[in-house]
Amino acid sequence: MNLPLLSAAFAAFAIALYVMLDGFDLGVGALLLIQSDEHLRDHMVDSITPTWDGNETWLIMAGVALLAAFPIAYSILLPAFYLPLIVMLLSLGLRGVAFEFRYQVDSHRRIWDVAFSFGSIMAALMQGLIVGGLIQGVTITANRFSGSVFDVFRPFPLVTAAAVLNGYLVLGSGWLHLKATGALRLFAERMLHRATPLFAGLAAVSCIASVFVQPGIAAAWSAHSVPLTLIVVLFFSTFLAVMAVNGGHSDILPFALALGLFGLGMSGLVLVVYPNIVPFRLPLWDAASSTLSHVFLLIGAAVVTPVVLAYSAFAYRVFRGKTPEKGWGV
Amino acid sequence: MKLDPTVVARIQFAFTVSFHIIFPTISIGLATFLAIVEGLWLKTKDAVYLQIYRFWLGIFAMSFGVGVVTGIVLSFEFGLGFARFAQIAGPAIGPMIALEVLTSFFLEAGFLGIMLFGLHRVGPKLHFFATCMVALGTLLSASWILSANSWMQTPDGVSIQNGHVAVTNWLNVIVNPSWLYRLPHMLAAAYITGSFFVAGVGAWYLLHGKHEDFGRRTVALGTAFATILIAGQVFLGDILYGTMLRYQPSKMQAAEGFWEDHSQSPAPYYWIIAPDQAHQRNRFAIGIPYLGSIWLTHSLRGQVNGLKNTPPDRQPRMVMVFYGFRIMYGMAILMFGVVITSLWLRWQGRLFTTRWFLHALLIMTPSGVIATLAGWYVAETGRQPWVIWGILRTADAVSPVPAGALLSTLIAFVCIYALFITAFLVFTFRMIRRGPELAPAHAEASGSLKNALRPQVMNNAASSHPALEEQLP
Repeated sequence: MNLPLLSAAFAAFAIALYVMLDGFDLGVGALLLIQSDEHLRDHMVDSITPTWDGNETWLIMAGVALLAAFPIAYSILLPAFYLPLIVMLLSLGLRGVAFEFRYQVDSHRRIWDVAFSFGSIMAALMQGLIVGGLIQGVTITANRFSGSVFDVFRPFPLVTAAAVLNGYLVLGSGWLHLKATGALRLFAERMLHRATPLFAGLAAVSCIASVFVQPGIAAAWSAHSVPLTLIVVLFFSTFLAVMAVNGGHSDILPFALALGLFGLGMSGLVLVVYPNIVPFRLPLWDAASSTLSHVFLLIGAAVVTPVVLAYSAFAYRVFRGKTPEKGWGV
Repeated sequence: MKLDPTVVARIQFAFTVSFHIIFPTISIGLATFLAIVEGLWLKTKDAVYLQIYRFWLGIFAMSFGVGVVTGIVLSFEFGLGFARFAQIAGPAIGPMIALEVLTSFFLEAGFLGIMLFGLHRVGPKLHFFATCMVALGTLLSASWILSANSWMQTPDGVSIQNGHVAVTNWLNVIVNPSWLYRLPHMLAAAYITGSFFVAGVGAWYLLHGKHEDFGRRTVALGTAFATILIAGQVFLGDILYGTMLRYQPSKMQAAEGFWEDHSQSPAPYYWIIAPDQAHQRNRFAIGIPYLGSIWLTHSLRGQVNGLKNTPPDRQPRMVMVFYGFRIMYGMAILMFGVVITSLWLRWQGRLFTTRWFLHALLIMTPSGVIATLAGWYVAETGRQPWVIWGILRTADAVSPVPAGALLSTLIAFVCIYALFITAFLVFTFRMIRRGPELAPAHAEASGSLKNALRPQVMNNAASSHPALEEQLP
């Protein structure tokens, strides 16, 4: 059996879940900055408080799966993205403690909310920067990172950083569209109306620019032209769909479509990067761990992941429904 | 001055991991304490237990939060600062940490929301289950991470193939020679830390004549738990000492402060030394005569092995290991004294009224944290110069990241973590000052439960759980 491929699939699954779940958390966090009403800010935070920790755990899962299954890739990529990763971790930290600490203060809650928002925005930007850096390609010599830690701060990754931040804003607004009523729901609709076209534009620029910064992209297009075309068409039609259902009767539809956007984006990336684990540089089998390490990881993942998904779904169920001012919806 | 990346990477890891371990130690202890207290509440329906639960839940939530965000940093830092270590050891420690994430982090995260905000949504029984799951998660987490760290101390179950570790037997990797002793030692340390925390805060209330019921109950519970746990810890520590003497003699040689192959006879027990590593001697040493022979060799004139038994290029820095060990051991002796006194006072019926003892409990509030940190310094600095004992030296494990980048991120870590600890301490002190009655339960203070407390949800929960209705303020 092709164990490294299964491990890579598990890591990709973890990354995809992370991006979708923490994506909306980070989006809501980023939106705090432009919400001046403290009461509404409380409700925005309330809507993500009970479940954010589980969402963020998928990030650790992805990182650790990489360490367990592809230690060579892990030891190339982490130094390569040293600076954005550290900034991301510190930002996530700031946001994480702001969840707890903002409730402890009455008079200066705004300060913690700014920290919360700043942490969310920086984390989103750094993740986008890393995606761009991965596509542009890292410099490696003999399975070690041999570039500069500043390589990632180039124009292309800066565009993808803006794209990812806007994508999270769409997800976050979609989440509020689902969970909020009244003024907050209107706020969510306004934000969706602004962020969605911006995200579409930035995504389009990223797609086109990627062909110029990375020759591997053109190769992938000629190899998988049909599925990639399909993904791109679906991707950009979904934007129109989000705009169409925004503010409509269905609370959940914009959020579900925004998740679909990220699902499509992830599958496009997987298609382009496969079969490499360090994109365009190192095939996953060349970076793989010893066989027994994959066996252990995969048995653990196969047994425990369904249970994790079950009680995570249960936690979402306990806190289901609206998170509005006057109590939980009908 | 030219900065050495190895030194900066090590300082950065030491700083972030030391900061992190404080919070899991507190939350492992408090999670189990909360589970016990909620269980007692469900059994006895005594409102004081619910009050204790709610009060400590707020502090638990904050320490858990800081523990989570500083822990995420560590799972990436293996690769950020020590890429070569990750590359070589990934096949062995990676899957263990992956299982930690799967079995423990998700369990904690999944049930933490319910534990903090869900009492009225799910009812007391299911809520108690959620508390137990969070406590179980902290225990599993400790178990996996101790397994990974113990494997670095006493690696087993692997072979080295082209410079990489390949696992040959998972059972031997996980149940490596030191894990079996180090895990209970750390768990007991966390539970002792929690006990002294709880007892110390209770003592403060009794000293100020506030919240007497709460204070008495927590002092009684805290000292009782501490008494049982410290009795166990004495044995666990002794067994672990013997194990480490067998597997890592250089660590224990450094911990006792002797240099010569064999110490003088009778050997003193040193408390203060000024080691001179370059010349392999102590500039001076102050100790208690005979005690070294008695404690370490269980005879009146026995000799203790010194660090010169280990070649200089394989020696740890004595000053770190020695003082780590002395601080941990000194704290343990003080804690032992406190619990013995508590037994005597309890028997005399003066546990809650003896002011000097309550003062002592108050001073000892952070003793568990200090002892645990010192103990980890023994474990980690005593393993040097190895990062994986006998397999990989720390100096060879560092990432290809320039020292300047490492230094600037270290400064960023120090600044942000300083903010975290300041906020944590300020809010913890404020919660303690406000007291268990005045302070709204954490769950209520936050919006989520405020929303959950919609009248009909409340009524539903309360009517189906009469016990809850009585307890609610």
